[in-house]
Amino acid sequence: MSELKYKGYAGKILHVNLSKGKAWTQPFPNSLAENYLGGAGLCSRLIFDMVQAGTDPLGSENVLIFATGPLTGTLFPQASRYTVASKSPLTECWGEAHAAGHWGPELKFAGFDAIVVYGRSEKPVYLWVEDEGAEIKEAENLWGETTYGVDDILKEKHGQDAKVASIGPAGENLVRFACIMNDRDRSASRSGMGAVMGSKRLKAVALRGTKGLEVADVERYLEAVKEWHRKMLAHPYTENRALYGTTILVELMQEIGRLPTYNMRQGVFDGYNSIGGEVIKRRYLIKPRADFSCLQRCGRYTAVPCGPYAYVGGSPEFETQSSLGSRCGVSDVEAVLYAHWLCNSLGMDGISAGAAISWVMECYDLGILTKKDTDGLDLKWGNHEAMTTLLKKIARREGFGDVLAEGSWRAARMVGKGSEEYVMHVKKQEIASQEPRAQKSMGLASAVAARGADHLYAFPVLDEVGFEKEIRERFGEEYLPEIGDRLDPKYKGFMVKECEDYMVVVESAGVCKYGTQIPPVFYYGDIAQALKVTCGLPVTEKDLHVIGERIVNLNRAFNIRCGISRKDDTLPKRLVKEPAPIGPAKGHVVELDQMLDEYYRCRGWDLKTGKPTYEKLASLGLEDAGKKLLNKEKIRKEQDNQK
Amino acid sequence: MPYIYADPLECTGCRICELICSFTFEKVLNPKKARVRVRRLEPAIDIPIVCRNCEKPPCVDACPTGAMYKSPKTDIVLVDEKKCIGCAACVDACPFGAVFLHPDKGVAVKCTVCGACVEYCPVGCLKKVQPSRTAVEKQYTYAGKVRRSVVANLKVPEELKSE
Repeated sequence: MSELKYKGYAGKILHVNLSKGKAWTQPFPNSLAENYLGGAGLCSRLIFDMVQAGTDPLGSENVLIFATGPLTGTLFPQASRYTVASKSPLTECWGEAHAAGHWGPELKFAGFDAIVVYGRSEKPVYLWVEDEGAEIKEAENLWGETTYGVDDILKEKHGQDAKVASIGPAGENLVRFACIMNDRDRSASRSGMGAVMGSKRLKAVALRGTKGLEVADVERYLEAVKEWHRKMLAHPYTENRALYGTTILVELMQEIGRLPTYNMRQGVFDGYNSIGGEVIKRRYLIKPRADFSCLQRCGRYTAVPCGPYAYVGGSPEFETQSSLGSRCGVSDVEAVLYAHWLCNSLGMDGISAGAAISWVMECYDLGILTKKDTDGLDLKWGNHEAMTTLLKKIARREGFGDVLAEGSWRAARMVGKGSEEYVMHVKKQEIASQEPRAQKSMGLASAVAARGADHLYAFPVLDEVGFEKEIRERFGEEYLPEIGDRLDPKYKGFMVKECEDYMVVVESAGVCKYGTQIPPVFYYGDIAQALKVTCGLPVTEKDLHVIGERIVNLNRAFNIRCGISRKDDTLPKRLVKEPAPIGPAKGHVVELDQMLDEYYRCRGWDLKTGKPTYEKLASLGLEDAGKKLLNKEKIRKEQDNQK
Repeated sequence: MPYIYADPLECTGCRICELICSFTFEKVLNPKKARVRVRRLEPAIDIPIVCRNCEKPPCVDACPTGAMYKSPKTDIVLVDEKKCIGCAACVDACPFGAVFLHPDKGVAVKCTVCGACVEYCPVGCLKKVQPSRTAVEKQYTYAGKVRRSVVANLKVPEELKSE
């Protein structure tokens, strides 16, 4: 295979087969760069090709990919990201998660754009990658360690400048929403990628490199960097991000009735002030800490100095302030901070963990679950001692924790007694802390996202606080004012489609949704320019749009093969049938069907089934995926006829 | 002795300075070729390590070939690449770890206080400083801290008290 002709990339992909204990490398294919960029796009293509529909997500035949983008490790603002993807053990369809930090850039400095992991090791191992070489090393001494413990041990061994991504006890114990942590406090959280890593008995990937990334247009590069940085720093959101990170969203979301509370019964929380951004900044913030090449520095380095919830480290985020706070009715801020840190330490997704516990608390409130079921834990709303105890039990799969470790959807099937109705999920993944009755686009985004309930796949925040100027710039005048009204379902199908296409491009390029979507500083034109100057990739704005659409359609095709259809693009009854009881969105439900129809129409997918048509896939250069879906359809019809 | 400095609690550890430095000198994005290295240590430390151009530079004393020298004009320690034999005696001698061997060329490299990183630091915490001025600035910072309690008892216009 010929060498990659584009700059900015490391230029090689590392393959590791853990069953055979072998590693080999391959040049990064030119066609992959041109049609999928890298990161999320690369994963989309490779997983579709390598993972069969019937694959057991926790079996040795599943494939786990870590992939950076062409801009990762460069000077584009927030160019720190990597994607990790696999078939998800939580949703049993498309799985992916993303993280910032310094690990992704270091992977490129070590000579690789991506690592593809196959098979399953017999014994616990970790991977050490340094300057185009890789070694599979014994990890018996790491097994059972927290993610922070692994970071300490591997840095002691390989040097403090090594970068470590690892799983904690939750990943080892195949908790279905286990995450992968890197650089201590950065988390590739959703859809259970940590459980896949655990099933392969891969405890960590540690790396260090001395390789550099070449730039295509050396003459004009610094000039371009200066302009990107100027634009990023000039946006008023940047200063706010530096001050509060995402923590201040608690106060903002409360104001618009969009702060999920009591397992999403409502969108306002009486105790919001005590778990909000102001109190965290005043009492617990040590400093903002940035990821590689990040100008916004939303990371919070905090500490609770004493008491039962003492810790020091990176914490928290809006998502967990809500999932481990308002959704569980917890207004003790130190408990919320610690619970977030605990999830990171144990290596599990704080969104799913908090959402699952809030489901338990509602069942407990309704008498469906009692102390007999919960190992004696008094899981009434707001009991943070019980919440933190349960988090530890989930990670260790102890007692009732073993039930919740399966995710709330499966847990409800075990519990029965009508508890299923209260699971706040889409495609078996818990919904993030974005109350959709107060922002309709978020409801649609959750319903259709490839990895199950997800606010980030589309991240349709343009209508959240009225980015009218940017809406006009991006989509023109014709959709205003309705598209900018968060309570109006009109044009949200169009907006979610457009945002999905753009967001997957962002994750494929290796940059952050902050700066590209909120605040909406950079758009296709800027990414195209960055790819041209940095990599010499000859892609136009229009090409990038097609690449985005291609990736979304390929992920959808993967999901169709896994049995997903319109019936799965849905929301819990609570959100579509029960009007929000109080707060600014009082009386609102999510008008999902109306938005879905518009979304499928914009996508060119079948209205009844939600499947991409062959013509649509072919128009995106995905004839192969189209044929696979047609074949599947043919086989299904033959089977039906036989019956 | 001018040098580049940032407070370890103000620095966020984004390492933009490393990339700017490596690109400025080497036209490549490679932290291992940067003259500034940001080191992160728990808890909460992010510190850019840069040559301080010491008054009595141990690297210059240690250099066996005279490649390392202090420019009398700028007061900055420089490396004559032609004379440098890549023995790393300067690396051993520097108490800060602020002198490195170039990974390809094998010669000693260090900060020349060009200020490119300062220009791009998004936090604005990276500064070109002179120790003589550093002390003066610290003295005024301290004076500012005691100002409120002292001024409170003075007969001056109220608005001066609240400033």
